[in-house]
Amino acid sequence: MQTYQPAKLLRLYVTESDRYQEKALHEAILEKCRELKIAGATVFRGVEGYGETAEIHRARLLGHDLPIVMQIVDTPDNIERLLPAIEGMLDKGLIAISDVSALRIHK
Amino acid sequence: MMDTRMLPRGVAKKVTIYLNEDTQHHLGPLYESILTYLMHKGVAGATATRAFAGFGGHNVLHTPKMEALAEHLPIRVEFIDSAEKVEEVLPTLYDMVTDGLIEVQDTHVVKSAMKEKPLPGPKPARFREAAKAKLMQIFFGEADRWHEEPLYDAIVKKLRMMEIAGATVHRGVDGYGAKGHSHKKSFFHVSRDLPVMISVIESAEKLGLAAAAVEEMLDDGLIVISDVDIVRLVHANLPTS
Repeated sequence: MQTYQPAKLLRLYVTESDRYQEKALHEAILEKCRELKIAGATVFRGVEGYGETAEIHRARLLGHDLPIVMQIVDTPDNIERLLPAIEGMLDKGLIAISDVSALRIHK
Repeated sequence: MMDTRMLPRGVAKKVTIYLNEDTQHHLGPLYESILTYLMHKGVAGATATRAFAGFGGHNVLHTPKMEALAEHLPIRVEFIDSAEKVEEVLPTLYDMVTDGLIEVQDTHVVKSAMKEKPLPGPKPARFREAAKAKLMQIFFGEADRWHEEPLYDAIVKKLRMMEIAGATVHRGVDGYGAKGHSHKKSFFHVSRDLPVMISVIESAEKLGLAAAAVEEMLDDGLIVISDVDIVRLVHANLPTS
């Protein structure tokens, strides 16, 4: 019988146009997560939003600059390990971490 | 006009009464008297149906061909209500049905819905309700299926049936999970299996039930539950949970 385990949920707010070494930032972070063997990560694209720079991000005819939200769930240890790596890659952006209980289902 | 009353979901009793259309009670047909009585007793609903054909205790076959003007056909009156309500009305029904049959069955109400009537007058007042609740996030793939339909559809339907307050399906644009494969959209849009996340906010008690139901349906995925503070803006005329 599987049971819920304490875990951490990391939410990361960046934008679509953010870059890291010639690559989209969210793609680079995703690769970093794989490299660090983080259990999983999901990238969501927002429909509209604004952040620190107070410019509204929305779809324009040419060039998108929509908000990107990444959600990563893993054990507290693994999130601890991931955090400095991500922080090093971000110029601006927001990271929010919350306590969760997680159940991995694999039948 | 009496107050509207909706039957709660769950166990209930179903009463079926078999009569003849021309059986009289005082000055009118018996089935009309029964329906009127049930309505006055606040029974949630009752239906009388005319049968196509049948026979009863008198061993006479009633069919439209044989009855002059078809006025002697069987009538069936059915209603469903709680055991207490049925107990309350049965003695009177027993007395009223001088020629016919009354039968009671255990039943289970799955859905009892009533369309809300728009209220006349000014826009109803709103009030703010702050509470502690739970947030559940369910992660899986867009291509996952449940009995030939997309799993995310099936989960939302199931949650709706359980009267869970709400659920939102989000589609990710990229990601990877326990399967290890990337969920990135392929160039030719074939074999799409983007990540999907459903978020649900409910009271701790109901969310526990919802999580158990989702657990049954999910083959490969992740369920994440956390505490949240919620603020609901509620119309004053709607019931609060």
